[in-house]
Amino acid sequence: MKVTIQQKVLYKYMWVVFFLFPSLAGLIVFLVVPMLASLVLTFFEWDPLIPTHFTFLGLQNYLTMAKDADFWAALRHTLFFITGYIPLVMLTGFGVALLMNQKLIGRTFFRGASFMPVISAWVAVALIWTWIFNPKFGIVNYLLGLIGITGPAWLYDPNWAMPAIIFTSVWKDTGFVMVLFLSSLQSIPHEYYEAAALDGADNWAKVRYITLPLLSPTIFFTLTISLINSFQVFDQVWVMTKGGPAGATSVLVEQIVNNAFRYGRMGYAATLSWVLFLIVFLVTIIQNRTQKSWVTYE
Amino acid sequence: MSTKSMFFRSAALLLAFSILLTACAPAVTPPPVPSSEPPMEGQNVIETAAPEPVEITYYTFSAAPDHLKELNQMIEIFQAKYPNITVKVETAPFNDYFTKLQTIIAGGTAPDVFELNYENFVTYADKGLLLDLSPMLQADTTLNPNVYSERANQAFSYKGMQLGLPATFSTVMLFYNKDLFDKAGLAYPTADWTWQDAVEAGKKLTDPATGVWGLYSGVQFWEFYKKAAQNNCKFFNEDKTQVMINSPECVQALQTMVDFVKTDKVMPSAAEMGGQSDGDMFKAGKLAMDVTGIWMFAAYKDVPFKWDITVEPGMDAKATHFFANAASIFAASKHSQEAYEWVKFFTSDPQMAKIRIDAGWELPALRDPALFQDYLSQTPPSNRQAVIDSLQFAVVPPVIVRQSEMQDGINKLLDQVMLGELTPQQALDQAKLLIEGLLK
Amino acid sequence: MSESPFLKNMSSNRLGGHLSKTVLYILLILGAVVMLTPFAWMVSTSLKNSEYVLSMPPQIIPSPATLSSYRRIFSLYPIGRMLFNSLFVATLATLGQLITCSMAAYAFARIKFRGQNLIFLLYLATLMVPFQVTITPLFIMMRIFGWINTYQGLILPGVFSAFGTFMLRQAFLTIPREYEEAAYMDGASPLTIFSRIILPLSKPTLATLSVFAFMGSWNAFLWPLFLVREESMMTLPVGLATLQGRWLTEWNLVMAGIVITVVPMLLLYLFAQKYLVQGYVMSGLKG
Repeated sequence: MKVTIQQKVLYKYMWVVFFLFPSLAGLIVFLVVPMLASLVLTFFEWDPLIPTHFTFLGLQNYLTMAKDADFWAALRHTLFFITGYIPLVMLTGFGVALLMNQKLIGRTFFRGASFMPVISAWVAVALIWTWIFNPKFGIVNYLLGLIGITGPAWLYDPNWAMPAIIFTSVWKDTGFVMVLFLSSLQSIPHEYYEAAALDGADNWAKVRYITLPLLSPTIFFTLTISLINSFQVFDQVWVMTKGGPAGATSVLVEQIVNNAFRYGRMGYAATLSWVLFLIVFLVTIIQNRTQKSWVTYE
Repeated sequence: MSTKSMFFRSAALLLAFSILLTACAPAVTPPPVPSSEPPMEGQNVIETAAPEPVEITYYTFSAAPDHLKELNQMIEIFQAKYPNITVKVETAPFNDYFTKLQTIIAGGTAPDVFELNYENFVTYADKGLLLDLSPMLQADTTLNPNVYSERANQAFSYKGMQLGLPATFSTVMLFYNKDLFDKAGLAYPTADWTWQDAVEAGKKLTDPATGVWGLYSGVQFWEFYKKAAQNNCKFFNEDKTQVMINSPECVQALQTMVDFVKTDKVMPSAAEMGGQSDGDMFKAGKLAMDVTGIWMFAAYKDVPFKWDITVEPGMDAKATHFFANAASIFAASKHSQEAYEWVKFFTSDPQMAKIRIDAGWELPALRDPALFQDYLSQTPPSNRQAVIDSLQFAVVPPVIVRQSEMQDGINKLLDQVMLGELTPQQALDQAKLLIEGLLK
Repeated sequence: MSESPFLKNMSSNRLGGHLSKTVLYILLILGAVVMLTPFAWMVSTSLKNSEYVLSMPPQIIPSPATLSSYRRIFSLYPIGRMLFNSLFVATLATLGQLITCSMAAYAFARIKFRGQNLIFLLYLATLMVPFQVTITPLFIMMRIFGWINTYQGLILPGVFSAFGTFMLRQAFLTIPREYEEAAYMDGASPLTIFSRIILPLSKPTLATLSVFAFMGSWNAFLWPLFLVREESMMTLPVGLATLQGRWLTEWNLVMAGIVITVVPMLLLYLFAQKYLVQGYVMSGLKG
């Protein structure tokens, strides 16, 4: 049977629809439509308590935001969080994944241990960590005292609150990164390493020439997801410091939540969200472009 | 075995386990469903109740989880009296209550009756979300509005409309640990104490060796406006055309509060409390005097030391807190008459009041002295009369429409003062600008 | 099954091998301690009597230890019902994600079609707007659909996650095309290739996604808080949230509630462990 080009194309698009439609339809209905609704809101003032009343503001919200000192402070704090959190969590997650990939006694136990923080909700772990970081009786300052350092007031000190939050976040998400890397590490064939060993490669060379390149799609994925998530850091800040002390750990989503749910300024909250979106989008695009230079797919 | 079927298996196992749990666990008694038969001849039925069954929703933050039982008891009594009305309860924790309320209102699914505390009341009242109860109150021959505490009733009237009926009220007192006072050989605080007296006693009570602190009074919005009132300072004038929060009296009031921590050293800083609340510290016997609310009576019931309360110390004048919660009806509720019956019952019925007081579930905002006999005779603390006494000095919180923003802004400035980043004068100067901005 | 034979290399040098192994195990144990101590703390607090909960310095082993917090929670809340709700919602949400995301990922990874990059970018974009701001329009939508206080309202919005599609797309992209080529030559349809070749080869990633999807649904708080209007529909996080009182929080109760919420997740993870561990031997197919 002779199949025309059109028929081939039609056949292909049938399959595209078949595979893509459920996901895309749901995405559009439950995610994209509310997103667009919030985009429209950025041009209005809308108080959810008076839901039928919309005041058109044009670009006013964006101008207010540009002059809003709280917004810029929140942006700074968010960026500070990211620069501390991302490198640390990627490194520890990767390191732990490498370790977990070995033949070890009690491997299941160790894997489970690193994943425990991930499956717990923040409200649960945040309280414990406020105790751990307690300036007088917490373990951290106790250990520091053992080596002769007087620890700072951590969550009560504007300079140290964010580092404490970063550390806690790394603790919680290491397991997440580990699990992502682990499933890819599993799929690297044994033989590659053996062949490399025969060629005289040492451990570092193995990591550099086999592990990393084969892992690069996962690294790219994990980095992208982690970046997108860390720009939206919220739960741990809300529970551990509520943005304090004196606004020192106020982050973008905290500003958004305050404006949306406590100040009745949904339009402004939406504006902050979409500016956040733009920033994250740009960062992701840039990352996407660079992937060609270091990510290798089969 | 594929991932999916393995998954199915484990989920099925857990599902079965939970179904088992449902069967074995003690069920929470749901409110009884009233019969939908019309009232029988000769039965005493309120004429205004419609004969068809009506369901109203009551949204609350103060019932779950400890007092659902009492609430259900009250609903049973109510539904026996009004067989055609079913009250459906919806709860949320206080911290998320208003977030949810706002969202369900925005979605057009507002509850018929909901609980409001004073600071949110003004916001909801101003936006026209609450039903004016005056017509129904006037038409009601069985309710005497004087049954409510006048102050509480007034708190929920806005621009001449009665937008809620007071359900409960509470005050803030000075709690003190008698054992610690005895050990230091000091006389107990009295109702005429000033803060100077308190600080003097605090200095003798504070002991770094045992980790005991003399007193605690939070440096935050609620405490600040009260201390300010004790020093004859007002944040703004009646019609909000002038903001005087940075006047010398206000600055002095703030300075006094800051001094408790910084110069007098009788009060722990936030860092020194390290995650513990003042309540936790008082319970642990580490706080000799604590300015906190009467809602803590239940929490302190079984502490291993003797304690009592008195009216809070003043400065130039006395000023105390008066907090009240209301039951309000949503303006667009489709069952406003039935909702009114519930609100009326829930806020004024003597049976309801007795259940409350017996269970220690907040104080009804009613005037009947007989009700208070029971309350006053419960111990601890023994000096419950002070609760009533403090009412004569009660001050109303300064409330504007953009209340949350003002509170957050002022709290942040107060934090900065405590951190040493701003002086009280600087902080209050900034506060003035903030409030003026919010009033525009 | 692949494990990097780093250890093998180390053990070739006898003494150095033992030392490195010891260091390794010390590191691992230290790491496990850091990871698990907060949980030990949580369990310990849940077993304490209220007076001892926030005693400073903190008590590690509760004495006396008591189950009163758990008893109290079971008497205050319909735990069985809430557990059922959480399980039901999370299971269906996870299945939904597995199915829809893997199919979409296959389209992105294996079919070249016009606009695919743009559509994929749309997927990514949905991850970049904080849900706190889309939740209100979404809630209004639920009202329009009549899905307030329903299971579908709880489940469906969580099914269509770009995260799952993204993750699976990456995983599918790394599968060498050689495996499919044979089948393709034999005239197999994309559906056959998808279900017979791609999916089985992606078990670890599918297992990983299952755990994440389940976890996301299980721990969800704000959405169920808004959507649920009666006690019988409450999920665990929403139901137990009222343990955090307005004035005073009984931390031993809160911790007990959290332990109850975490245990099923832990069990699920242990089940899924097997599949996260199992890889697939590719060597035999090469050459």
